[in-house]
Formats: sequence, C-alpha cells, structure tokens
Amino acid sequence: MEDLLATCAHVAHFLLPLLALIVLLRCVRSMLSGRADPETWGYLVTPEGQVRPLLHWECIIGRSRSADVTLPFSDVAGVHAVLMRNDRGEWRIHDLSRGGGVFLNGKRVEGTEPLVDGDIIRCTTHMLKFAANTDAHRAIQEKRRAVAGWRVSPAATLFFLTLLQLLLVLEFLLSADPAYRFNTILAFFALILIEWLCYLLMRTMDRSGFEVETLAFFLCTLGLSVCATATPAELTRQVVLLLAGVVLFFLFGWWLRDLSHVKALRWPAALMSLALLALNLVAAQEIFGARNWITIAGFSLQPSELIKVAFIYVGATTLDRMFRSRSILLFIAFSAVCVGGLALMGDMGAALVFFATFLVIAFLRSGSIATVLLAVTSAVMAGMLVLSVKPYVAQRFQTWGHVWQDVNGAGYQQTRAMSAAASGGLFGQGAGSGWLKNIVAANTDMVWAMLCEELGLIVAVIAILAIIALAIFTVKNAARNRSSYYVIAACAAVTMMMVQMGLNVFGSLDILPFTGVTFPFVSRGGSSLISCWMLLSYIKAADTRRGGSFIVKAAKSGKEAAA
Amino acid sequence: MNKVKRRAMSALLVAALILCGLGVYIVRYVRHGAEWATFAANSSVYISGVLATGTLTDRNGVVLARAADGEHTYADDAAVRRACYHAVGDYAGNVGTGALVAFSSQLAGYNPITGTYASGGHEVALTLDSALCVAAQEALNGQKGMVLLSNYKTGEILCMTSNPTTDPADESAALADGTYLNRCINSTFTPGSIFKLITAAAAIENLPDLDSRTFTCSGSIDVAGVTVTCSGVHGTQNFEDALANSCNVAFAQIALELGGDTLERYVSDLGFTDAQKLDSITTAAGSFTKDAAGTPGLAWSGIGQFEDLICPYSMLRLVSAIAQGGALPEPTLLLDNTNGTTTLLRAATADKLRDMMSYNVYSHYGTDNFPGLNLCAKTGTAEVGDGTSHSWFTGFLLDDAHPYAFVVLVENGGGGLSVAGRVANAVLQRAVSSE
Repeated sequence: MEDLLATCAHVAHFLLPLLALIVLLRCVRSMLSGRADPETWGYLVTPEGQVRPLLHWECIIGRSRSADVTLPFSDVAGVHAVLMRNDRGEWRIHDLSRGGGVFLNGKRVEGTEPLVDGDIIRCTTHMLKFAANTDAHRAIQEKRRAVAGWRVSPAATLFFLTLLQLLLVLEFLLSADPAYRFNTILAFFALILIEWLCYLLMRTMDRSGFEVETLAFFLCTLGLSVCATATPAELTRQVVLLLAGVVLFFLFGWWLRDLSHVKALRWPAALMSLALLALNLVAAQEIFGARNWITIAGFSLQPSELIKVAFIYVGATTLDRMFRSRSILLFIAFSAVCVGGLALMGDMGAALVFFATFLVIAFLRSGSIATVLLAVTSAVMAGMLVLSVKPYVAQRFQTWGHVWQDVNGAGYQQTRAMSAAASGGLFGQGAGSGWLKNIVAANTDMVWAMLCEELGLIVAVIAILAIIALAIFTVKNAARNRSSYYVIAACAAVTMMMVQMGLNVFGSLDILPFTGVTFPFVSRGGSSLISCWMLLSYIKAADTRRGGSFIVKAAKSGKEAAA
Repeated sequence: MNKVKRRAMSALLVAALILCGLGVYIVRYVRHGAEWATFAANSSVYISGVLATGTLTDRNGVVLARAADGEHTYADDAAVRRACYHAVGDYAGNVGTGALVAFSSQLAGYNPITGTYASGGHEVALTLDSALCVAAQEALNGQKGMVLLSNYKTGEILCMTSNPTTDPADESAALADGTYLNRCINSTFTPGSIFKLITAAAAIENLPDLDSRTFTCSGSIDVAGVTVTCSGVHGTQNFEDALANSCNVAFAQIALELGGDTLERYVSDLGFTDAQKLDSITTAAGSFTKDAAGTPGLAWSGIGQFEDLICPYSMLRLVSAIAQGGALPEPTLLLDNTNGTTTLLRAATADKLRDMMSYNVYSHYGTDNFPGLNLCAKTGTAEVGDGTSHSWFTGFLLDDAHPYAFVVLVENGGGGLSVAGRVANAVLQRAVSSE
C-alpha cells in the first residue's frame, strides 16, 4: 500500500507540470481567441453624410489623431468634447475645448449637457449629428458577438485544475505530517468546492468567461500547497481567508458594475486610505524592520494591502475628468502621501509597488512619457535620500549581486532560496518534501523558490506566466472597453500584481535587491490574499466579451427592450 | 478611449521586463544550478553542512567514500584510505580539491532536469586504481612527494597520491605539515632538469641547425661573471646527448641563445604558468621569471632553476602530449568521461622529444633499471637552496597495451634517477602487471 502510494506520488510529481501547463494554455487560448467585436453604442453623422460609430461609453471628439472621432481642423482642440453614456443609456456631452466652444442645437454647452437622439453638436464651426443606438438595435448586435468561453470549455479547464489539486493531495498524503494529513486533504477539497461553486454561480448568472478566476484559483492552489508545507496549522485559516477573498471579489465586482456608484465613493475611499495609513503609522508593530502591521481584536492585518485596492479605486478615472489638472494634481498628492507613508513605515517593497502603479496610472491618464520620467527621476532622488537615512535599506542594496560572498550574513536568505530552487530541478522534490520552508520568510518573500524546490521550475514559471497572461488579457480588453475607468483600473491592478511578483521573485534570486513583498495569491498573508482577489475584480470588470464577466451588465434581450 | 487603449500597452512593458528577468534567472540556473544545489546549506543533500548522499568508488568499484543515512564511511582498507586521501578528500572538506568537494553535484545526483530529486544520491566512479595508489604510496616509503600516472590515450588518471597523507577515518591522527595539500595538483616545485624538456621543445622549433651542432662541456660555464656549474664534465656532445647527460652547460647556452621571451612563451604555451582544469578542479599555476638577455638568471631559468616553479600536473600534460604526437586528451578523474583534446606541440617536435627521451633511458638511465618497460623519460634533480635536491622522474611508456604517462617527485630526495626513478619503476611495474 505504502509502496503503491509512493509510486503514484512519484508519477504525480511528473504529471503536475503537465496539468499546470494545460490549465495555463487553455486559459490563454480562451482569453486570446475570439474576435474582438466592437460594441456600437451610437453614431455621429457629419454634414457630408459620413457615419462615425461610437464604440465606447466614453468618446473623445477632437483634432488629435488618437481621438475617437477625429475632426482634423485647426479650430478644433486636440481634445474638444467628450461624449459619455451611463448605465441607463443616457448620454451627456462635456465641453473640454477651452475656447472654441461646444454647441448643442445652437446653444453653447456650459460644462455638460444631456444629449439625445437627433441632437446637433457643433465643435467651433464643425457640425455633427448624434444618433443614439436603441436597446433593440443593441440587442441584435449583441447576439452577433462571440461568446466568451465558447471555444475552450471553462468547465474542462477547471476539471484539469481539479486533477492537479488531487495530485497535490496525493503527494501530501505521503509527505505531510500525520497530525495534519486530514486537515490537508480537507483544505484541498474545500478549495475544489469553492472553485466549483464559483463556477456554478457564474453559470447561473449566464456568464461563461471563467479564465481569470481559473488562473487565480491555480495560483491559490500553489498558495495552499505552500501553506500545507510550511504552516500546516494555518490551513483552516488559509481556506477561510480564501473564501473571504472570493466573496469580496464578487461583492466588490458587483459594486464596480455601476460607475455612478463607483464615482460617488472615490473621496471616501481616499480619506479611508489616508486614515488607515495614519493609524498604521501610529499603532503599527514592527516586524522584520517594517512597521506595516496592525493588530485589531486578535486579527493582524497589513493596511497597505487594503490601501492598494483603494489606491486604484481613487486613481482610475473616467474620460470627462481625465483632462482636468485639478483631478490629476489631487491624485499626485494622494499618491505622494501613500508612497511617503509607506516609506516612513519602512515598507520599501510596498512603497515601490505603489510607485510603479502610480506611474502606470499617471501615464494612462496623461499619456506623457516626460511626466513619467520626471516622476521616476524625483523618486530616484527621494530613494537616495531614504538610503542615506535608513541604514538597513542601504545594506540590502550593498548585498545585491553579492549574496554568495556573505552566505551566512546578508545573503543568508537569497543563497538558501537559490540553493533550494536549484535542487528542485524542473519537476521539484515533491509537494511537502522541501527544506526551504524552515528558513524565515520562505513562505512569503522566497515563496517562488519554494515553488521551484517542491513543485519544480516548470510550475513556478507557469505561476509567473499566469499573471502575465492576466496582463495580456487586460491590454487586449482595453481596445473594446466601455469606460476608461475600467481600463485604467485593470491596467493598474495587473501592473501592481506584476511589480509585486517581479520584486518578490527577483528579489529572492538576487536579480533585484531583496525588498520583501508578496507573490500575488501564493505568498502567505491574509490581507494580501484578500486584496489580490479584490484587484482581480478590476481585471474582471474590464472583460467586455459577450457573457465574459458578471461585472459587465448583459444587454437586455430584444424582447425586453421592445416592451 | 482610443488614447487610453493605446496607453494600456504600457502594462506590457512591465510584463516584458518580468520575462527578461525570468530569462536572466534561467540562464543563471543552467550555468550555476550545480553550484547552488551543492551549497552546503542545501538540506536535501547535506546534513549540517556535510554531504549526506552519494558513493565514490575507484575504477574497479572499490568504495572510497560513502554517505548514507547520516553515516559517512571511507574505504575499508586503511592503506587505500591513506593512498587516496588527497584524490578523495574528506567529508569535512579539508582537501579543497578532493573529489568529495569537486564532484559533490554528481554525488548529490544533481542535474538541471530533476535537481537532486533522485533518492539516495548517486554513485560516482573515479578513474583511479586504488591498488596502484597504495603501491605508489608504499614506493614513496614515507618520503614527502607525489606520484601521478595516467593513461595518455584516454586521459584517465590511474594513480594520484601525495605524501604526507592521513587516514580520514582516524580523526585523531597527528597531521604533518601540509597534509591537506595534494602535491600532484595543488603545489608547485622547482623543476630542475625536467624543465629541460621545455627548453628542448623551444630549441627544436627555434634553432634551425640544432642537429648539426655540438656543445662542449668542461664542467661549468661563465655567464656574465657568474659560474653556471654542471653535474659533470660532458666534453663535446650533440643535442641528444646534451639532454641525456642533462648537461647544464649546453642548456645554459641554449637558453641564452633562445632568449627570455621565447622561453617564456614556451613555458606559457605548454600550460605551465596557467592554472589548468582537471574536470572541475582548478590546478595550481606555476611561475617563470624572465631574466634579461645574457644574464646568469636567464641561463639558470632554462635549466629549471632560478625562479622556475611548476605544478606536477602540468608536466603530466606535457609528457602525455609528447607520447601522443603533440596532442593530449585532457586528463580526467571521472570514469567514462572525456575532456576533449589539446594540442600542445607540433607533431615533429613531439616525435623528436619522444625519441630523445627514449634515448635517455637506453643510453644513460639503463634499461636494467626498468626491466620489461619500453620507457621514455627525463630525470630531474632540482636544487632547492638548502643543500638538498628534489628528485624528479617523468616520462611515459611506449607500449600500446600500457600507454602510461607519469610524474614522480620525492621532495629533498636526492638524485632523480636513483630515488624518483626507483619509485617510478615500482609504480610502473605494478601498473603493467595489474592488467
């Protein structure tokens, strides 16, 4: 019996990378296949009879070639006017011309005016007639669009993921401490249950896009495996946190459905973030040199993780506000306080993650590389200042690239990480059979090396590619998105995940300085797990494929619309 | 929206950077994975920093060292343990170039595909013949020195032993100075007359009328007011006899004529001043100081004195190349392994040196001293400044069935032929008869 089990575990250990690859490839194929059908929400007709479709909920009219509707005349501003549609199908026009003026049916628009079918828009001297798309017409168009998950069955992908999880259970049967064996099995079965419930919930909402969730569950599986190896006593906690993360993913996603709700809470979200930061600075405990933990009623949490979600919530914006300098300046101030606060706490990793996210948001909003370079330069200078006053941060930089010269000092963790990662080879030592778990922070800062050691380089690389796949998916979706809010939020969320992942992985391998941030979904840490699931809502919100996302409301059927 | 969707590509920049980083890691993993995996903190192959897995054997399967179940053992026979101590090393890592250190990744069963997953570690077979090492250690008879013997057709090292040595199983053994040094590969010594092989190689290729020349030796020669002495009075001799007589007067003249630059180039080209790679082991680099033209220093440096220092391993490579027509298979300690071929000498030069080394034995050293061996050799008696001399004997067998090259050194042993020559004969007789 034992021998049989050992043989099975041996085979499982070689099958695991294959299944991980299947899951990844199926998700990627599903996410990237299918036509990028545009959605048409209305039209603008020129006096010459040219029809310009409005393909988003937010459209720019302007001289600029990158405007959605280009009017190539010198008396038209680069960004002259913005047309915006809301959830109820009502359109508004905003004047951003700063001079030339926008006129609606001959009357000058002061700020913003509602727009209805048949209205005549004049930008300085150039006329356009607006034609709204009716719900009935929309429903017909909608039917022609490709359905998410149509070519690659999401259920089958999830089935492969389940197989992978069962193989892990098999390996743990052999390697787990008998005291925790039952708990380990239970935890994996709970994970399987949660993911299939999630899937069923999607189906009942008539949605068929499940790739984003599948990839997240794949990463959570690796996280659970790390937990079962390193801290088996925390398995129950991990499953509860995972469940909480998934529930928040749905709730937060539900909230993101309606942009008017979202906009209403931007100020409160910003204030809450600042309050949390302040609380953190006052009441935090110092752990490993960084004051980034607070304990409330026995639960310790890392406020910076929750602020991540709020940061994007505040930073993303719709087109009408995007070009207002007041809005940008406020966001810069908010970002500076966040990054500065984190730096004060000594949480350099989180400060870097926020800063990189800030750069992406700033670039998406301004489109100016000069601005970004300016920000980077000032940050580097600020960084130098920090290095000169915080000796332990400077020490990390001195160690960088020289860890093998100081294997029992400053290079202690990284050398162990590399050694363990190398002994895993491509297929790993087997789940639960590594030794790196005994090193401090193995399951957080060096978690990728733990994956390499126990599950092998292939699975570890697939974990990285899973996050990259989310990024590519997000960029692909940007082209057919309804609101810039979702595009900015999703791009910021994937950037946040990627930067965190990059700092985590390459920090532990001495390719970057060791900063101590978490690998999304995989590293131990409840706050981090929950914030990752909430960040995933942003990514999910940007998926506008037909039936792709529960966060995007489906078009009313033709019949309903007619009635 | 068009503006925003173009800018969204910036997220791909971050993705590209991550892929670059991953590429860097994978390249490093392929290049350094073995070093990382054999880092002593790796608990899957080390226990408390000591290699915990793998078996090391000699070419005949004799276990030289084994780690399993937390136990470390060495060869059963104490004589084998002592004779192979430097080649094998010990689990404490006292011999930095020992096989236990040098081949730890193979012993750990590391490869980039499965890491160290294979349970129980691996068996690594060395090319050494432990019985031959014991015979060599016995022939040294407690004297400081070393014996290195290889198959020059395959590069396999059959004998590598060094004295003083110790028994790794006996941790309380008293240690003589320099016990942890493998004299075969980690030390450099004054070469004395075996260096004349290098000077001869340079002379053959640079002095066109060499064969028609004669060298007159009256026991010494005056170089810029300093007397360079010879071991005898050799009278008028040709080049072959000059080498066979190991005539200092002749070789001082040759060195002066070749000049410091040429000599230095040959010492370097023949691999004496660089560290060599024996599998993954780095050997000691010798040194050669070039003195000004016409100086006694230059004369002495061509005779293997002055500031000349060589590593015995480099001499093994040279005599292997001479035996093989100039190209040698690089030596190895790993059975069923080849390290490629290096050309050290032109074929004509190698053949000429081979014939001269054969002539040395027939005309001067005496075949009776080496019964049954078709030997080509060169002696060396290197003055080390304290009145004593290192005794050297190096060469090879011209014998397809027993293609052995060797270097023997007995420190402060005296005459090359009488001391090192006798050790070499004992080891060669044993090597030839054991097959």
